[in-house]
Amino acid sequence: MADITPGRLHPITIAIRDIADIFGRMGFGIAYGPELEDEWHNFTALNVPPDHPSRDMQDTFWIKGEKGKVLRTHTSPVQIRYMEEQMKKGIPPPYRIIVPGKVFRNEATDATHEAQFYQLEGLVVGTDITLAHLKGVIERFYREYFGEGSKARFRPSFFPFTEPSVEIDAWFEPKGKRGGWLEMSGGGMVHPSVLESAGVDSKKYQGFAFGGGIERLLMVKYGIPDVRLFHSGDTRFVYGFEEKAL
Amino acid sequence: MKVSLSWLQKYFEKPLPQVRAIAEALTFHAFEIEEATGDLLDVKVLPNRAADCLCHRGIATELSAILGMRIQSDPLRETLPAFPLAQELTITVEDPGKCARYMGALVRGVTVGPSPQWLREALESVGQRSINNIVDAANYVMLSIGQPLHAFDAGKLHEKNGTRALGVRSARQGESITTLTGETYALPDSALVITDAHQDIPIGIAGVKGGKTAEVTATTTDLVIESANFDGTITRKTAQTLKLTTDASVRFQNRPSPQLCAYGMRDVLSLITDIAGGEIVGVVDEYPSAPTLPSVSVSLARVNDVLGSSFSCAEVEEVFTRLGLTTRTDGEIFTVTPPFERTDIIIPEDLIEEAGRILGYDRIDPQELPPGEPGDQSRFCGIERMKDMLVEQGFTEVSTQSFTKEGDILLANPFDKEKPALRTSLEENLKEALTRAHYYAPLVLLPGQKPKLFEVGTVFPKSGEYLELRMTERVPHWGESAHTTDNLSVAKLEDYGRDYRPKRYALGSYQPFSVYPFIVRDIALWVPTGERQEDILSRILESAGDLVVRSSLFDTFGKGEKVSYAFRLVFQASDRTLTDREVNSVMEGVTKMLVKKGYEIR
Repeated sequence: MADITPGRLHPITIAIRDIADIFGRMGFGIAYGPELEDEWHNFTALNVPPDHPSRDMQDTFWIKGEKGKVLRTHTSPVQIRYMEEQMKKGIPPPYRIIVPGKVFRNEATDATHEAQFYQLEGLVVGTDITLAHLKGVIERFYREYFGEGSKARFRPSFFPFTEPSVEIDAWFEPKGKRGGWLEMSGGGMVHPSVLESAGVDSKKYQGFAFGGGIERLLMVKYGIPDVRLFHSGDTRFVYGFEEKAL
Repeated sequence: MKVSLSWLQKYFEKPLPQVRAIAEALTFHAFEIEEATGDLLDVKVLPNRAADCLCHRGIATELSAILGMRIQSDPLRETLPAFPLAQELTITVEDPGKCARYMGALVRGVTVGPSPQWLREALESVGQRSINNIVDAANYVMLSIGQPLHAFDAGKLHEKNGTRALGVRSARQGESITTLTGETYALPDSALVITDAHQDIPIGIAGVKGGKTAEVTATTTDLVIESANFDGTITRKTAQTLKLTTDASVRFQNRPSPQLCAYGMRDVLSLITDIAGGEIVGVVDEYPSAPTLPSVSVSLARVNDVLGSSFSCAEVEEVFTRLGLTTRTDGEIFTVTPPFERTDIIIPEDLIEEAGRILGYDRIDPQELPPGEPGDQSRFCGIERMKDMLVEQGFTEVSTQSFTKEGDILLANPFDKEKPALRTSLEENLKEALTRAHYYAPLVLLPGQKPKLFEVGTVFPKSGEYLELRMTERVPHWGESAHTTDNLSVAKLEDYGRDYRPKRYALGSYQPFSVYPFIVRDIALWVPTGERQEDILSRILESAGDLVVRSSLFDTFGKGEKVSYAFRLVFQASDRTLTDREVNSVMEGVTKMLVKKGYEIR
């Protein structure tokens, strides 16, 4: 059977392996959660108020005949599920996980928006975890994923599940072109109510979380012009890259 | 929120820096700037600050804190006048839970007319249209301090025993209203309306838009001015249902403090009497209970422990002072009593954020995580090991959409009405992808290579979601009993992946494919042994030109002194559909060239 020509992996798979490797060397495990979520994990436990606009029909896919069920709008509910599970097993922090997974948004699609895409979530909880650690982790990730010249920058932001919250930009220099800052991810220090929702003592523990689109990372790194190519089932996209086994 | 720099300047004695510097200051210490052109900034106010920053005064206080420039007089810190009670006006609020405060003022003897030039220019500078001096005054005060205001023509309200009466109540079933701009809206029961209470007819959609019935026109002389606080959720839902988002509804949905009403009333009455004349008869203030904001404490140590910073006590204290927060410092503990409009300051972390953003996140140095146990990636590695095996067996991974035509789980609000269900299996999508893969095979695969696909994805049968692995055919190598699908949620993937390192690949830049059809042509020729097929192919490609998007050798056999090489050429243009004729003529050129060089075409 030596003459079988090997097939190809989807570029998202290749990227998630790169990501898992980089974060793995910083001690991160990988966690999973359901795509069909309940409202509590997707919103309530994450400190999203009951009448928050993100819970509206025009942003979130709700399930017919199953009140309180949604297609997860982000990978953040896995933060809650992971911490709940650990606490149930009697394992308190430190925690260090990433969550690569599919998420869904009820919005019109175009070259930069898809109703379904992959997100990379990160969560670190301990007794002494700070926003400076978030910067250190993210910066190292960008340097290893985008190249040595890359770096990270924080801007003020707001998310119900983090406080303080920041917008994270990456400095990226495409080969032979001028570099620029690109908005890549959101993050911040996990809101005390989020820790409490998952049964973690917020007086004793603190941590950071971040989340951003995976397709966006690839679009920037490889110059992919349209996000809709990723989940089109089209082999021409999968074969649209020179591939070298490492 | 559109912000005019000259409007902002009114809050400062010293001249503000250039627009670029202001945009930068706001971006890195407060809010993103969507656009900055000339005198205009489009500021993307964050949701937690939309209660106090959807106005020039809010942006000015932020700038003051960031740039360390004093505000010369803050309208929200100046004392409020005591207005006489308006005996000729009554206000009845049905449910204070839906309308925390309703202030109404009666003004007599105004002259409605065009606004003075400064006011028209101010409104136009932020893209608003000037209407008349009364409406403009209300808009100006809203854009200055954030309180939505409305003016009714008192003369159009029913008079009974010398009084006019306003009511605030939920809309009745079947009730409708014609707004100022002439459209008629059927009101949802959940909407809140302002009524002419003597007649119980709606004269405004609370927090959204005024009605035609009591519109201020050129002949209006007496006004009832409204400065109120309506529930954020009701306002948002009503605006959404009616598809009528207004400057007022956007502000109310972000829950400004009801304290703000009095400041809005003070400023609008002062401006109206100034530019339209008239006399303030009195004010009625329906305000059963004023909220108070509890003070919040945080220590310097906690600030630095959360941010990973080394800010000094003096620095952090100065941030709070610059933000205008009343602060008591005991040792290194700050106790802040938020001013009424800063409804966002509730927990110590809110104060930590203020310190971090105003002092600047660029002052936080990146830090490596402390050493820890290695993380568990065994399940991931198990899944990836399956994928690596399949790739080795000639399978190519695709990713398809989770939505399908039919399924067990239906979306309540599908975006694509053709695909309202969640897939119960990857089968259908893969089948469809395979059909296309067959068609595209000449573009991406080698001649003779059979397209075989797999996908790993979540599926949603009635029995519950799971991670499915599905292949378009059996893997012969895995034996007769092997299936084309596997439930990876029940497979023991942790064990399978524990000691496995997934294969890694480096990818080059993405090469876009043409959306136009392609044409395949084969050419075979006899070549004396010893000549390299690469050299022949490059000659062919040179002659064929740049319409060839893919070429490969697909057959070789020797016979005596000669070898037969068969090449496959795939033609495709990036800008049009190629015709057979076009490609035939290219192939004729190639053949001619080869014959001329002495090769024998088969």
